[in-house]
Amino acid sequence: MLARVGKPAPDFELSALINGGFKNIRLSDYRGKWIVVCFYPGDFTFV
Amino acid sequence: MGVEVLAISTDSRFSHKIWQEEELSKMIEGGVPYPLLSDPGGKVGSVYGVYDEEGGVDIRGRFIIDPDFNIRAMEVLTPEVGRNVSELIRQVKAFQHVRATGEVTPSGWQPGKPTLTPSPELAGKVWKVWKPEYAF
Repeated sequence: MLARVGKPAPDFELSALINGGFKNIRLSDYRGKWIVVCFYPGDFTFV
Repeated sequence: MGVEVLAISTDSRFSHKIWQEEELSKMIEGGVPYPLLSDPGGKVGSVYGVYDEEGGVDIRGRFIIDPDFNIRAMEVLTPEVGRNVSELIRQVKAFQHVRATGEVTPSGWQPGKPTLTPSPELAGKVWKVWKPEYAF
């Protein structure tokens, strides 16, 4: 695990559903803004 | 509040698309208004310390990152319990406030409640300007 609170966020690039279409997104695309990254266990799950 | 939200799970982007169309858009008009990212095999989840290898999923981790790209807060839960969005909003507002003013926010701070200004004179004197009941 590299991510540490108080340290720079590890950058990454992943494919994403955005505005109804597919696009690759990098975390650093949003540098300069406040960002909230939410991991979650799965689509179609209950909580 | 000017916050970008990114949601990530180990599901494929195709699964995200169908979930958005079949379920999320029935809970929220138009579905969720932020990107759903696909992290197969939990490669990014592993870097962020939330990938559960046995279950093959990213568990419920949430990270606040500031405009300088530093992680300011994280909260990780096992999947059965959902997040508290009010607390997330409270934390973002607190981090935005301290970044803008240099003040610090005591326990239970909400916008409008007293903050503290760090200085050598304040050491040992916090009891004069802040009481524990302010936290609730």
